[in-house]
Amino acid sequence: MMVPGGPPFVLFVIRRLFFALALVFVASSVSLLLVRVAPGDATTQMRFDGAPAASVAEERSRLGLDRPWSTQYRQWLAAALHLDLGMSFRYGRPVAPLVVERALNTGLLALAALALATLAGLPLGVLTATRPRSLLARGVRLGSVMALSWPPMLLSLVFAAMAARTGWLPLGGMRSPMAAPDALSHAWDVARHLVLPTLALAIPVCATFERLQSRALAATLSDPCVTAAAARGIPPSRLHFRHALRLALTPVTAVYGAIAGGLLGGSFGVEIVTAWPGLGRLLYEGLISRDLYLVAGCAALGSALVAVATVLSDVVAAWNDPRLREQVGS
Amino acid sequence: MVKKLTGLRLIGAATVVVAALGIGWWSTSGEKSAADVAPVPVGPSVKTGGTLLGTVRSEPRSFNRLVARDRTSNLVSLLLHEKLVRINLATQELEPALAESWSADDDLTWTLRLRKNVTFSDGTPFTSADVLFSLAAVYDEKTASPLSGGLEVAGKRLQLTAPDPTTVVVRFPERFGPGLRVLDNLPILPKHKLQQALDSGTLRDQWGPATPPSEMSGLGPFVLADYRAGERLTFARNPRYWRRDAEGVPLPYLDGVALLIVPDQGAELLRLGAGDVDVVSGEVTPEDLPAMQRGADQGRLSLHEVGVGIDPDFLWFNLQAGNGAPSWRLRRELRVAVSLAVDRQGFVDAVYLGAAAPVAGPITPGNRDWFDTQLVAPPQNLERARQLLAAIGLTDRNGDGQLEAPDGTLARFSLLTQKGNAIRERGALFVQQDLMRLGLGVDVVSLDGPTLIERITSGRYEAAYFGTQASDTDPATNLDFWLSSGAFHPWNPAQEQPATDWEARIDELMQLNVRSSDPLERKRSFAEVQRIFQEEMPAIYFAAPRITVATSRRLNGLRPGVLQPFVLWDAATLSVGQ
Repeated sequence: MMVPGGPPFVLFVIRRLFFALALVFVASSVSLLLVRVAPGDATTQMRFDGAPAASVAEERSRLGLDRPWSTQYRQWLAAALHLDLGMSFRYGRPVAPLVVERALNTGLLALAALALATLAGLPLGVLTATRPRSLLARGVRLGSVMALSWPPMLLSLVFAAMAARTGWLPLGGMRSPMAAPDALSHAWDVARHLVLPTLALAIPVCATFERLQSRALAATLSDPCVTAAAARGIPPSRLHFRHALRLALTPVTAVYGAIAGGLLGGSFGVEIVTAWPGLGRLLYEGLISRDLYLVAGCAALGSALVAVATVLSDVVAAWNDPRLREQVGS
Repeated sequence: MVKKLTGLRLIGAATVVVAALGIGWWSTSGEKSAADVAPVPVGPSVKTGGTLLGTVRSEPRSFNRLVARDRTSNLVSLLLHEKLVRINLATQELEPALAESWSADDDLTWTLRLRKNVTFSDGTPFTSADVLFSLAAVYDEKTASPLSGGLEVAGKRLQLTAPDPTTVVVRFPERFGPGLRVLDNLPILPKHKLQQALDSGTLRDQWGPATPPSEMSGLGPFVLADYRAGERLTFARNPRYWRRDAEGVPLPYLDGVALLIVPDQGAELLRLGAGDVDVVSGEVTPEDLPAMQRGADQGRLSLHEVGVGIDPDFLWFNLQAGNGAPSWRLRRELRVAVSLAVDRQGFVDAVYLGAAAPVAGPITPGNRDWFDTQLVAPPQNLERARQLLAAIGLTDRNGDGQLEAPDGTLARFSLLTQKGNAIRERGALFVQQDLMRLGLGVDVVSLDGPTLIERITSGRYEAAYFGTQASDTDPATNLDFWLSSGAFHPWNPAQEQPATDWEARIDELMQLNVRSSDPLERKRSFAEVQRIFQEEMPAIYFAAPRITVATSRRLNGLRPGVLQPFVLWDAATLSVGQ
């Protein structure tokens, strides 16, 4: 049997890392080229404002927009191989530190949402699978179906409206302007600001986990091996939580990577509404100002986060399910 | 004249729903001095100290006002820098700033006397050398400043000389009606900080968003204390600021200003309603007005009706030669028919939910000096519109309810507008509905801002419904719009020779207007320009929004204007109470 850390498993991880690099390369390259060929560029507003043609030409030259797209792309790619993602047109700053700074904020938000969704979604899935006819399980199922149909952006607006009425939570941003400077106050302040966007992002994911876990566990409970274990007199609680649950976790762990990608996509609207300084907002600002290096940088970091999450979810799934380990080994 | 695209509204519709849940005239001669200017209307009762919390929708593109013209950069510049003279946005009149008085030496030359004992925030004395440096920096070709056009007269530069450290002499290349109003476009920057960059041709790259605040200095009421990208800008009181109120209390009253970066308007208003912030970046939209009114009724905020906006959206046809347009689309009769077909009061009610005024042209009642009360918005007249269309051969030849051109093709045109801007999208749809009653087909195409602008500037469109943002009320500072040679003459920009007789006549009148220093003569010439404009209708105006701004109740000293930034244009005189 292959175990995590064994040679086949290492090869598997290496293969996935290569895939991750390819994903980052393709996502950033395609983003840059699409923004380059889209109508308008970083000097369009200047032209609309009536700037002299010479000034516009000089600005285009300064930004490298007068070069053919293939040349511009080659130069960007050569620099990117040395981790230089170019200068943002809009911010006048190197793209790399800018996107890393924002990716950390988005990562924090996504991690908090994933953790909340996991901690709430899995137990609820167990509940609805093991007591499907109870009133509570019916309520949870109904809630999940409704939550699945609510986009995170709308949820963030609803929560913001509720926070405005109650005053319990900050309405947006990541830090209070008047927060005390010490580390503990700072952490508490960020945590309070994190609640609203986290809830907005986590609720649909929580519903997804609940539905997946519920169906997987229900299927596992009717599996002959579980029936046999029950026949050997294993108590239901131990049967559910130590045996069936572990087997039923596979579908959930398998979609973790995709869910992380969804969280990054969903964070875009949430970050706009809750003024969370993350990658989604930066990407939006890059797109509307046709800041191609910034967009490419955001795409690179965003796809890297998705790739890392996918690799981690594959590793966890393989660790959790012996059958997958066998497949990986083969 | 500075013109800017108004902000994008990506998620307007959803925002509306949830927001509702939550809650001078220039004197032509003689000397003008500080005594002529209404003093700041405050006294000993004003509470000094405290921090004003505001919001902006986007990051500043730069702290260098010479290269950035976005709304946030402009606001930051107003907080950090000062001008020689400025336009009071509440009164729309020119008033002294760093120049305490001025006098006209002749038709072309003005002498400005600068205030003494004024220092930059870093303690360096302000002198006339800083003024000369600032203008040179704007004109520098490597800086490629968007402000340079607004500081030229007939495409020629102003000449500045400094006989002594407290005197500046401005020489205009030719007579210029608006006079010193043009200097409202010139922020005074510190020569001692930026001269080296200007000499080396790198001024454009100075004071970008990553610049440490300590490296910048200014003459404005505040200094930048901290900038957290994506989060907020924090400003501290400039203890060396030169202004005092009528009681001699040093300005600004506030200890600081914090501008939170909140991209979504609905979230901005929720924060205002919850008491989190004192002022938001823009006006209250018609959709948000009922919720804001409820908030005001409940004592949670204050609403201020400022007046009719001065930069209404408008519809225009592409009249550029050689764009392949059928002849009927270039005809005056079509434009007048469109104007007559649209029910302007209905437009006000449906598009602006009542919070607007019907208008006939680009100069609205909000423009106190130049609005012509004789020009009234025409009432809807479908019968006359049909006659005008028939006169250019657009009739329903086959009885299908749609007009056909003489060659049998359907009479249709595409109308570009800005995606995500709810008012513009609704406006375009309203026009489409009203023109449908005539049988004239309109295909509304909503495009994102950059794509829309690219289509317009490249001339690849049939008609557009869009808008601009004005920075001054004097039409002579907006020549790019009026003159046929203007780059922002939307329907047919940058003409080498006027394409039509009426454009040639408007050119003549505007040149007369610009060169005259006689207010009555200027009024007469511009009244004729407006009359020709209404006859020819190269741009069709339907309504101008009524501007309402919302603030917290603790904010005092407000003098809002109809131009952006409505409230914070004079932050030095604002104060916050309990």
